[in-house]
Amino acid sequence: MEYVAAVDAHRDPSLPMDNDAFAGFYERSARPLWAYLARVSGDGALADDLMQESYVRFLCAARPCDGEVAGRRYLFRIASNLLKDHWRRPGAASIEDLPEELFAASGASDQFESQTLLGPALGAMRPRERQLLWLAYAEGYSHREIAEITGLASASIRLLLFRARRKIARLLRTQIVPGRRQP
Amino acid sequence: MTLGACPHEKELAAFVLRGQWPAASTPELRAHVDACRACGDLVLVMQAFRGARNEASIAARPGSAGVLWWRAQLRRRKAAVESIGKPVLGAQIFALSITVAIAVALVASQAQYGLRWLSWLAQLSQSPAFHFESLWPSAVAMPGWTLMLLVSGLAAVALLSGLVLYLASERH
Repeated sequence: MEYVAAVDAHRDPSLPMDNDAFAGFYERSARPLWAYLARVSGDGALADDLMQESYVRFLCAARPCDGEVAGRRYLFRIASNLLKDHWRRPGAASIEDLPEELFAASGASDQFESQTLLGPALGAMRPRERQLLWLAYAEGYSHREIAEITGLASASIRLLLFRARRKIARLLRTQIVPGRRQP
Repeated sequence: MTLGACPHEKELAAFVLRGQWPAASTPELRAHVDACRACGDLVLVMQAFRGARNEASIAARPGSAGVLWWRAQLRRRKAAVESIGKPVLGAQIFALSITVAIAVALVASQAQYGLRWLSWLAQLSQSPAFHFESLWPSAVAMPGWTLMLLVSGLAAVALLSGLVLYLASERH
């Protein structure tokens, strides 16, 4: 991988990468990570905060440098855990209990979501469904990789994704807004 | 519940991920997508998500990588300082607790001599032996095992504290 080659041989072995290698990795991974956080959380400002925290934790983790693909997957895992922590805080309840309207009504993401086909349909999905759908169809991760990132059982990913895909496909086809969606 | 997976899904996903759908696909595959609900859903959803990903990536305003790098360095240093401080504090607490335990054990073992000691203390003030220079021979005259217990207890405290400090600092 590119950044592995750039790693200084004399750096601290417990660090995932050196400053220059990190700058390259950040350049390549920051936008997809922000897109994931912003679309799943429905809040651009929160995505900014969680993205920064994700990178700081990524750099602080005593983890060997094992390639850009693995590094990016680990970064998404950190970001997913931060999202989970955010949803677990008092007032947010659990990820499964959050109302879809909370995300559909979020002002920060409306600016760009309203301009795209996906926005209203994504707003009608549960956060967990958004997370799985984004990782599978926006990022192209396999079921095993999604299980690693989200901490869910690998066997359940397939069923959850199938249901979520069917649901969002129906919403996309019929262009139902969240307030009028079918039972 | 059947998952309705179609054998063409992987091939289709690869086309969409590469941005080659439907241009690079065969007419047969396109006809299949029109007829297969699972594949139709897959193409529809993947295209929507890939488009949204590109759109959101453009909207992203990532900050400076250097700032994050230095924030991480500061956090690492802070964590390192805390990790050094923790075992020292732990060793101090451990040493104190061992000392207290030995003191309690010593007192308990000497309790049987307590009454004798009390009477000895009461007589001490009237005793002609109550002079500083006369104390040393009296201490030597006491049962030898008490002094040995005291010395061995202190040695054990010192040894265990050193061991705890060494193990804790070695681990960190």
